[in-house]
Amino acid sequence: MAVGTAARERVERLDRIWQERPGFTGWLTTTDHKRIGILYLVTSLAFFAAGGVEALVMRTQLAQADERVVGPGTYDQLMTMHGVTMIFFFVIPLSIGFFGNYLVPLMIGARDMAFPRMNALSYWLYLGSGILLYSGLALGHAPDAGWFNYVPLASRKFSPGTGVDFYALGLILNSVSSTAAAANFLVTIGRLRAPGMSLNRMPLFCFAILATSFSLVFALPALTTDLVFLELSRKFGLHFFDVGRGGNPLLWQDLFWIFGHPEVYIIVLPAFGIATSIIPTFTRRRMAAFPLVALAELLVAFIGFGVWVHHMFATGLPEIAMIFFAAASLIIVIPSGIQIFAWCMTMVTGKPEYRTPLLFIVGFILFFVFGGLSGIMLAAIPFDQQVTDTYFVVAHFHYVIWGAAVFPLLGGLFYWFPKVTGRMYDERLGQTTFWLVFIGTNVTFFPMHISGMLGMPRRVWTYPGHLGWGPENFISTLGAFFLTGGLVLMAVNLVVSRFRGPLAGPNPFGGATLEWATSSPPPSYNFAVIPKVSSPYATWDEDDRETDPQRLERGDFVLEGGHLTPGTTPVDGHMDEILAMPEESPWPITLAFVATLGTAFILANHLIMAAAMAALAAAVLVAWHSGEPEAA
Amino acid sequence: MTATATRRNARPNGWYGMVILVATEASLFGTLMASYVYLRFQTAVWPPHGVAAPSATAPTVLALVLVASALPMAYAAHAADRGRRRAALAGIACALVIQAVYLGFQIHLYADDLSRLSPSRDAYASIYFTLLAVHHIHVGVGILLDLWLLARLSRRLTPYRRTAVSAVAFYWYFVAIVGLFVTATITSPTW
Repeated sequence: MAVGTAARERVERLDRIWQERPGFTGWLTTTDHKRIGILYLVTSLAFFAAGGVEALVMRTQLAQADERVVGPGTYDQLMTMHGVTMIFFFVIPLSIGFFGNYLVPLMIGARDMAFPRMNALSYWLYLGSGILLYSGLALGHAPDAGWFNYVPLASRKFSPGTGVDFYALGLILNSVSSTAAAANFLVTIGRLRAPGMSLNRMPLFCFAILATSFSLVFALPALTTDLVFLELSRKFGLHFFDVGRGGNPLLWQDLFWIFGHPEVYIIVLPAFGIATSIIPTFTRRRMAAFPLVALAELLVAFIGFGVWVHHMFATGLPEIAMIFFAAASLIIVIPSGIQIFAWCMTMVTGKPEYRTPLLFIVGFILFFVFGGLSGIMLAAIPFDQQVTDTYFVVAHFHYVIWGAAVFPLLGGLFYWFPKVTGRMYDERLGQTTFWLVFIGTNVTFFPMHISGMLGMPRRVWTYPGHLGWGPENFISTLGAFFLTGGLVLMAVNLVVSRFRGPLAGPNPFGGATLEWATSSPPPSYNFAVIPKVSSPYATWDEDDRETDPQRLERGDFVLEGGHLTPGTTPVDGHMDEILAMPEESPWPITLAFVATLGTAFILANHLIMAAAMAALAAAVLVAWHSGEPEAA
Repeated sequence: MTATATRRNARPNGWYGMVILVATEASLFGTLMASYVYLRFQTAVWPPHGVAAPSATAPTVLALVLVASALPMAYAAHAADRGRRRAALAGIACALVIQAVYLGFQIHLYADDLSRLSPSRDAYASIYFTLLAVHHIHVGVGILLDLWLLARLSRRLTPYRRTAVSAVAFYWYFVAIVGLFVTATITSPTW
């Protein structure tokens, strides 16, 4: 297509307007959702490596009976850090922080998130909380009371060191980051969709992020309350969980799981969204039952708030309460089932081309069904009471969280790799990776079902030989190293392809959503002309896409008068106003630094310094807004 | 293209952002009050023996005063929407005075309670002081927001600041209403 001079001038003008500071400092002050997404990607993968090494050390310790690779104290720290890292510092930041941040504005045809500076703040707070937590490990005071940190074990009496404080305060900071990110997604999805993208034309991935964000907004406060209770108990001797003083340790568990079970869906919903992005591309057809899948995604998030007690079936609660939650735990299978059938129908009725991303999605569906089935077993109260706190539970949630939630993330890393880097990964190595990881996952986690049935309790640091758990554990450990081999291969593939891969072009897979309608990697303003949208598969609407160059030539919706993006009505996606977006800013990283420092002072019992940091944070906020824009 | 959308139909983004912040803060208060009720029904006698029941009059009156302060805030948001800068300033200043007096009284009551009852005495005292403190902190943050608005509006009223006024007003409606629930919760032993 011939590009006219008018179009070229417009693109050059946009390049100038949206250009950010170059070099390293540009990364510190960036408000570009794509660069923030990449920061999330790199950071969360670093935490993934750390959590993975922790897992490997544990598996080595458990490979045989009576091993002495690490002692019980170190093992407890490794186990706790592994859980906390994988959930709060790897899966959520990768799925929401990277995939959400990078893709949502592109998929809805916007030029940035609704609150770009708050987006940067979310990232820096996340990094701060991670550094805080890992500084505990470096100082030899890592938390060691498990990722769900039950009291009374986590109380001052039984965990006298500062490990649990690192956990509690680090997670409070992390919650602030996640809440800000969720609010950002809700407003972005509600208000920044390209004109014409009514809710029923929004890609299913965005529905998944919408549902996840709703869950985060309502679930995280329960965790925050719980952590505040814990810290007040530990630091100031208050009594919330102490039976002798009118408290109840189950209060910790209730609040934790009121957050913790929605959290499971917070982890797995973005994975659903990735599956519904990859499947249409590689089967060459639109998703079956689109509205049902969209509703099912929202419904999963909603029912997810009514199942928490199934983590507590063995705590002696009244039977009627347990039956209610057991029923809810069974009902939530229905929206999950709708999605599984929709994915399968789309593949059965399409022309599937089994490239690496789709292979990972097929693996995901298998693991999700498998983990879902052991989940139904656990929702049956008598069975649950038999296997609770055994390796059967460990097997179940690793099938769900590793198999079902992380597999799509891995598939998504391959799928959007060309978009983010502009280069193709190596397909053959990618498929080899899939098989290594798929087999490794089963070899690692399947034997845990059996060792759990044989009675092996979870969280033990070693076990005596005469109990006969040796073979299962040895196989698990072999599987873990096999799995790691696959992941290393993936890392090599992606890192080498980043520099040497063939150029990908804008849409190497023939993807359907709008991120494929722009160049790879996308320009800082995402789209030279705000795309016209008439369906959820906008890139496949060739008539619309053919008009884009002409509209660029005419200047129709180029918005070249500044940092601008269209604001639309929340449901219908009607054009409403032109929004002036803020530019890069040094204040988000400054505020996050002050907040992290303040939290560290609380941890070190320097309360006066912590108060000083709070005052400083207020001052930073004033400075942040001193350069406010005119428009709202 | 309609580059000059004269009248928008949706609320500004800043207002939506505040609504979501309020939603998450409402959940925070929800879990705190639920914890109060949870602990209460663990215990046969509430408050426990040796602890006087909280007085109901002063907190109730104060909670209503805080609700009253939402009126000048609403007036300020209304005036700012119509571009009347001085009226908006007056509304915020009026609300600020009421809120500051309210917080002063509350801190006095809190200190008074602390002199008679230690938060580390038992679960009742712990949840009582925690719930109240969280609400007072929200009032304090609101007062800081008021001061910031006054400083910004003292010079000029821009569309951005108009949004800020409506968002802060929304925050105050929430803090006032949740104050009623908090008061109802902590005075529940006297019902």
